[in-house]
Amino acid sequence: MAPNQADAILELPLSVVSRVDVGRLLREVEALDSFLKQSAIREPGTPIKLPRTSRLLDEMVQNNKLNVLHEDSRQRLTSFLEEVRNHAPTLHMSFSADPSPAFTQRLITWLRSEIHPIVLLQVGLQPNIGAGSVVRTTNKYFDFSLRSRFKQKGDVLTQLLKEGSVAQ
Amino acid sequence: MSIWGLVLILVAIGAAAASFIWLALTLNGSPRKAKDSTDALTHGAEQDVERIFNEEFREELRNRGRLHFEKIIGENAMFLQQDLRLTTSELNEYMKSEITQKLQEEFAKYEQSITDAKTLALESISKTQEAIEEQRQIMGSQLLKEIDTEKQRLVKRFEDNMADIVNHYVLMAIGDQIDLSDQLEFILSDLDANKEAIIKDISDGA
Repeated sequence: MAPNQADAILELPLSVVSRVDVGRLLREVEALDSFLKQSAIREPGTPIKLPRTSRLLDEMVQNNKLNVLHEDSRQRLTSFLEEVRNHAPTLHMSFSADPSPAFTQRLITWLRSEIHPIVLLQVGLQPNIGAGSVVRTTNKYFDFSLRSRFKQKGDVLTQLLKEGSVAQ
Repeated sequence: MSIWGLVLILVAIGAAAASFIWLALTLNGSPRKAKDSTDALTHGAEQDVERIFNEEFREELRNRGRLHFEKIIGENAMFLQQDLRLTTSELNEYMKSEITQKLQEEFAKYEQSITDAKTLALESISKTQEAIEEQRQIMGSQLLKEIDTEKQRLVKRFEDNMADIVNHYVLMAIGDQIDLSDQLEFILSDLDANKEAIIKDISDGA
């Protein structure tokens, strides 16, 4: 189920990659909302200190030009994040090594521009694939690894090796 | 003089006395007279006998008989001793020769037994060695056959999995050497090539 039109206006920052990040962001927004609601019933003039927000939330707010001091914005953010957490498509991608943050950001940029604007990415590690990646969507499995390429071209390699051994 | 001579003398003396008494009795006519004369003769004969065979004479006869008996006993003992010595030496010689012969026979049998046992043992060892050698040759040929079969199997397995082995080797060799950042274009091109399928799967959902 795709997010509704009001929620689609918002965009996920590139630093929000996985469902875990979304959950963390959602908890933070809920905590902030609770804090601000409690502050509203305090005696006027009492100094309050706002909780420190994370880099994820800062990016989210800045990218979407939201004001978290307004309850509407917080409510919109919360409902958007809940929608993303519950219904955003997730791609599982495995690599031969741990990807760097820059690599992940470039990848998520491409995925959100080409595949789906709120797609999430679950990164895995498979050292035996050599190079490339293994992608798993909801119902499909795509093996883009070097191991798979080698396996597909195994007959050619065998033939070449046999010819080489006979020639020697 | 032997004891038999002495006995003959005594018998002769007794016969002379008996004839003298018989003559005296024959010469007297009446029984009474004859009886008296017989008694007188008997008494006289007894006196004569007593006088002739007095105690000294008897002692002399006993001494002489004892000495003669001792002499005969001594001579016989000597003969018996000689015979005994001779018999003993002959017996010793006989026993020695018999024992020697028996021992030689037994030793010969024992030596023959040892020789037979040695021959049997040598034959057995020889047969065992032959069997071991035969078994060794069989096992050697079997081992060579097994090795050859295993070699062929390994070669066939290697040929069958050669591509996998090379792939594995290449992956292990270069897997750590290719930086993920260098692979990004390659990964994105693969994703781009399958973009439609991915979008379709995401849109259709579970």
